[in-house]
Amino acid sequence: MSTPIRFALIGNPNCGKTSLFNRLTGARAKVANYPGVTVERRSGMVTGLTQPAELLDLPGTYSLFVTSPDEQVARDVILGQLAGERRPDLLIAVIDACNLRLGLRLVMELKSLNRPIILALNQMDEAKRRGISINTAALAKAIGMPIIETVAVNSQGVADLRKVLDDYAQQPAMPEGEQTLTLSDRQESVEALYAEIESIISQHVIQPAHLPRWQDRLDSLVMHPLLGLVVLFSILLVIFQAVFAWASPVVDLIDAGFSGLGELVATFLPDGILKDFIVEGMIAGVGGVLVFLPQIIILFFFILVLEDTGYLTRAAFLLDRPMRGLGLSGRSFIPLLSSFACAVPGIMATRTIADPRERFITIMVAPLMTCSARLPVYALIIAAFIPEQAAWGIFNLQGLTLFALYFAGVASAALIAWLMRRRASGREEYPLLLELPTYRWPMAYHLLLGLRERAWIFIRRVGTIILALSIVLWFLASFPGAPANATQPAIEYSFAGQLGHLMQPLFAPLGFNWQMCIALIPAMGAREVAVSALATVYAVGEESIDVALGSALAASWSLPVAYAYLAWFVYAPQCISTIAVVKRETNSAKATAFFTIYLFALAYFAAWATYQIASALVG
Amino acid sequence: MNTAVFANTHPLTLRLDQCRKGATVRVTGLIEQPLFGAQDERVGLRLKELGFLPGAPLKVIGFGLLGSDPLAVQVNGTKFALRRAEAAKICVELIQA
Repeated sequence: MSTPIRFALIGNPNCGKTSLFNRLTGARAKVANYPGVTVERRSGMVTGLTQPAELLDLPGTYSLFVTSPDEQVARDVILGQLAGERRPDLLIAVIDACNLRLGLRLVMELKSLNRPIILALNQMDEAKRRGISINTAALAKAIGMPIIETVAVNSQGVADLRKVLDDYAQQPAMPEGEQTLTLSDRQESVEALYAEIESIISQHVIQPAHLPRWQDRLDSLVMHPLLGLVVLFSILLVIFQAVFAWASPVVDLIDAGFSGLGELVATFLPDGILKDFIVEGMIAGVGGVLVFLPQIIILFFFILVLEDTGYLTRAAFLLDRPMRGLGLSGRSFIPLLSSFACAVPGIMATRTIADPRERFITIMVAPLMTCSARLPVYALIIAAFIPEQAAWGIFNLQGLTLFALYFAGVASAALIAWLMRRRASGREEYPLLLELPTYRWPMAYHLLLGLRERAWIFIRRVGTIILALSIVLWFLASFPGAPANATQPAIEYSFAGQLGHLMQPLFAPLGFNWQMCIALIPAMGAREVAVSALATVYAVGEESIDVALGSALAASWSLPVAYAYLAWFVYAPQCISTIAVVKRETNSAKATAFFTIYLFALAYFAAWATYQIASALVG
Repeated sequence: MNTAVFANTHPLTLRLDQCRKGATVRVTGLIEQPLFGAQDERVGLRLKELGFLPGAPLKVIGFGLLGSDPLAVQVNGTKFALRRAEAAKICVELIQA
């Protein structure tokens, strides 16, 4: 067979599709976009089959009558209506056994398409624990499709599923004919379909009347209008403390490792240009950024745990009304929270927002959420300028400063969203309609995969963009060399020095020196490179390479300048990939230009104001 | 507002957004919501698809921070967050206040 057979996983949001996908493909997902749209397309080859078979993980949907861009993609792929995307040969409908009705409804709708379909009844272990008893064989007969019981945490059910897929792959049935669906076709039949489902469920399923008590108790705490907010802010504060405090031993270890490596290499290489290049250009540049991997992993760990447990939607529920006052909604909370890790997936996640105006505002303010690439810059400057001491007994002053920087971003986002919303009033409303999934213990396997993916993305950036920028920067900082009768450090004569001096007058009102200006340029490629850029700029021409960058900065910057530099990084739309993703998601050059200009203007103003105010206070 | 009295005099006109926390009700039908404009029909369809159908038992489990908005409700064992605008589309009768 020339093209491999194609399976597609389809199901409600939160039904455990993605963990099944990971199990079936050995967690080797190829992540890309669907042609022409920005919805993420995850695909992979199913492992352990006799035939090559591709598996698509479709976006979660409740219905084929879609209300958001990602649901639209799921529907179009199933119907074979997405240009450039082959229709799947077999649908694997996934149902959360603890949420049968909602899942069965979609399955019955899919069944009416007359496509080959099998049903994976997922989370059977949890269902049994809750006292849900399903007569699977009878249910399969009643709905007219094979059912495989699966438990995403162990491989038993997955092996059964794989066997069914293998049998199918060997002799696929290929029905012909196109389906067309219209909204009016279905409107009357929702009731009829549910009546059928009720009858099926009452015959083949025994369900307890209530959810486990602790679920409801937990909800009455975390969804309480006041206590819930206390819980939410405590969680956020713990996250920021953890990012700063827990990571530091590992950070120190990596830091020491790279210094050691640099010294080791330095002893083996003869003095000269090659040694400078490897030690100062490559090892120092890459090490300076890789040091922040533990912090990024901790941040993503918390986001993934909060997402997997089902807590995030509760936070969205709590924040919906306050955020609506700003032209956003509970639905914009999740994209914005992801933007704390990186604005690119955050902006892409806005596709679940049905209201176009709200989606636009969310995109515009997403980069104000402090992304993990800013963390290295903040961490460096905080460590150099803020004393490491306890505040009010339990908090650490450095951690609090970090929290303040994050808060500045959030507060500015709120203000800007509010200003944007004031310009658009008197339009129709969009519904919230958010499912609050049952709480679930996060699965270590799923969590580790998620972390591995994030860590890998970061390491790949370090190995490609960041390494390349470090090399270019080292070159700019090293050539041309100082003339024989030089009176100043060599870097003053280099391209980088000249460029920095050229930019400096523009940034003089902010207090930036020319070294800081140089670092802003490669930071456009990736913000965290500002750290290695500063390392290069300050290390080149130094006597020894192990002069800690932090103390070099502390020696040459005044406190107001350090604050101003932090303020710049809170706002500046640095990192070209963010600007590119805004262009792609808004599909408007005007919106992208507005986005870029407003953020740069804000950065300039904030840094200027910070510098002037801090100078007045300190001086 | 005393929802119980309201329900007794006009059993069909009680709307979900008028219910108190902890109330157990039964859905009697969906009505129009002008706030949603042209997409009101679509919102109604999605509500039905999620299980807000006549006869479905429903429990109000919580309210958001300001103006008791949004509402958290449980229908057929699944919990949803709805805004007052959506809840006002849903007519209910009281089972237990």
